[in-house]
Amino acid sequence: MNALSLEQVFKQYGEKTAVNGISFEVEQGEIYGLLGANGAGKTTTMRMVLGLIYPDSGKIRYNGKAYSKEQLRGLGYLPEERGLYPKVMVSDQIIYLAQLRGMSRRDADQNLKRWLDRFAVPEYYGKKVEELSKGNQQKIQFIASVIHKPSIVIMDEAFSGLDPVNVELLKSTVKELRDGGTSILFSTHRMEHVEELCRNITILHRSNPVLQGNLKAIKKQFPRERIILATEGDVSGLADIHGVMNVTRHEYGYELLISSEEAGRPVLEQALRQTNVTRFEIMEPTLNEIFIKTVGENHE
Amino acid sequence: MNSGFWTVVGFTARNKLRAKSFMITTLIIAVIMSIGINLPYIISQFSGESKPTPVGYLVTTVDQTSSQMFTASQIGTLLTEYYKSQQPKPDLNIVTIKPANDSDKDNEEALKKAVADGTIDGYITFTPSKNKGDFPIVTYKSESLMEGKVSQSLKGALQGVKQEAILRGGGLSDELMTLLRSPVQLDTVQISTNGGAGSIGQGKTEEEQGMDMLTVYVIIILLFMAIMISGQMIASEITAEKSSRVMEILITSVAPLRAMFGKIFGMFLVVLVQLAIYIVVIVINMTLPHNKEKLGDMGISLSNIDPVLVIYALLFFLTGYYLFATLFAAVGSIVSRTEDLGQAVLPITMISLAGFYICILGGIQNPGSTLVKVSSFIPFFSPYAMVVRLGLSDPPLWQVWLSIAILLASILAAGWLSAKIYRAGVLMYGKKPTLREIGKAMRSYK
Repeated sequence: MNALSLEQVFKQYGEKTAVNGISFEVEQGEIYGLLGANGAGKTTTMRMVLGLIYPDSGKIRYNGKAYSKEQLRGLGYLPEERGLYPKVMVSDQIIYLAQLRGMSRRDADQNLKRWLDRFAVPEYYGKKVEELSKGNQQKIQFIASVIHKPSIVIMDEAFSGLDPVNVELLKSTVKELRDGGTSILFSTHRMEHVEELCRNITILHRSNPVLQGNLKAIKKQFPRERIILATEGDVSGLADIHGVMNVTRHEYGYELLISSEEAGRPVLEQALRQTNVTRFEIMEPTLNEIFIKTVGENHE
Repeated sequence: MNSGFWTVVGFTARNKLRAKSFMITTLIIAVIMSIGINLPYIISQFSGESKPTPVGYLVTTVDQTSSQMFTASQIGTLLTEYYKSQQPKPDLNIVTIKPANDSDKDNEEALKKAVADGTIDGYITFTPSKNKGDFPIVTYKSESLMEGKVSQSLKGALQGVKQEAILRGGGLSDELMTLLRSPVQLDTVQISTNGGAGSIGQGKTEEEQGMDMLTVYVIIILLFMAIMISGQMIASEITAEKSSRVMEILITSVAPLRAMFGKIFGMFLVVLVQLAIYIVVIVINMTLPHNKEKLGDMGISLSNIDPVLVIYALLFFLTGYYLFATLFAAVGSIVSRTEDLGQAVLPITMISLAGFYICILGGIQNPGSTLVKVSSFIPFFSPYAMVVRLGLSDPPLWQVWLSIAILLASILAAGWLSAKIYRAGVLMYGKKPTLREIGKAMRSYK
């Protein structure tokens, strides 16, 4: 049984279709990536999962059950924009939000202290949110979404506005949550985060799910058409090899675009004839490339 | 999930009560109230228990009046007597000034010197009237501008003096004189002819009526303040939650209706605390010995307040608060930025102001007017108008309860409508939505 499943969910605002028949499943202890350009329907999908708005048609099930008010308590939400009271103390508002989700004051307090320690910022307990930096507010926001130990967490742009150190910190925390059995629906613009965290993804484009499935399987569907070649000396005549479409010179060597993987072998042989090769790799397409390709093609 | 409601109530009330701005506002208003109540006492302290103004006249051997019946010295004596016996305290203190010699000019100088000395504030002189035998023309001379109070008092006194002099000349007995002098007593009592719900009951003395008027004033002003201030607070808190996007987390944690009514009820507790503080401040100040005496002189006393009126006032405060609060909450939920809020709440503010002014300007002077009667059945005006009618006239009981019933029905309607608007409004961002957009959004949430 899946922690979360969407089945042909459809939502329309007036004339405009916001989400056009999205279906996916999130297993327990899985991070599911929801990708798409701005306005593609990610936030609407997330809001429907949260029960903020109701789908016009289709089904959303939580651990096999339909939506009910009680399900709310099992959900955690990390919104894209800051959603905290600027003038209220961190402890007051986090405990308040936890209590609203049915936690006792004492448990909430203990949990909050544990999380603040985990992020190495115990001194924020008695501070007002407006006194904290943007990155630190994001940590508090993160705590607010997981303090009540939800089984499903929805994270909309979880890492926006954070410095690299804090991104790593939150990333490892998200992985810990996943390993603890929490299911996470995760949206971001940063493809490298998705590649690191998500097993399955859906790419939304203009309200339509255009690409969906296991990340590795998706990558296999796309041809490998890039070669990274690092050499000690110069290599000439690369552009003349059959199947090589473009050669770009970099500081470390060459990047080649090829029409098929067959062009790899002659390229390496050509290079070895002239100098020593330190690195040769036929690159997997990055998710970034896949994303741009999928979304870009549909743009036309 | 009832806990959700009380959690919101607790959070709302706690944060508001602890906020510095709230404490400071409450303190300032309490101080202003204390000053207001102490004002009569403070003024009396500054004016030095208002000593009678010393007014001089010249005791001459040569009479200036050339009248046999009204000689200057006779008028002077009678005037002195008149002021000595004036109740509760004399306005003027008549002082005799010794003449310098027989010259009018020197005598005038002597009087002027007395004014310059500060012995007297001004003086009166007599000029013979055109008709011999008439009361002389009296002139009051002083350095001050517009001595209306003194001249009013003198005019009255001289009228009495003239009558007295004539009557004495006529040989009236002392007994008759006393009878003639004693003032007429006129009492006004407000009565009830239909045993209505008003506070008249067994009839009311003028003092009680005055106190009622004051009580109604205070109640209406407190009511207006409570509704406007708390309404604004509710609306701005909801808008702030929206603009800070806490709202998105809130409504995923607690049902929107609970959040809205929790907020309204929490703010209600805050308003109650604030009102309680103000009432305690008023009561304490009014019972302070020095104020009790001073205000008692003006006919203001706590014991004159009608408890029935207070109970009805509380009832109308409750209903009025909830009616306006739900609407303020709805407006707060539509607006996404605090800057737009002032404009958005304007219609509600105007309605509330209209009700307030109908009562303050028209109602208190004329509580039986059709305008007030009609207003006391219109939901947004009735909390003010019915309190005025209850306090100052005598509406039938059924009308009072009809008014309350109408209010309750409107609260239900407003609550239902506001809840729908709130549910839709909290997720609407961007520019201020039009009525059509709100309607459209409302239909998409069941």
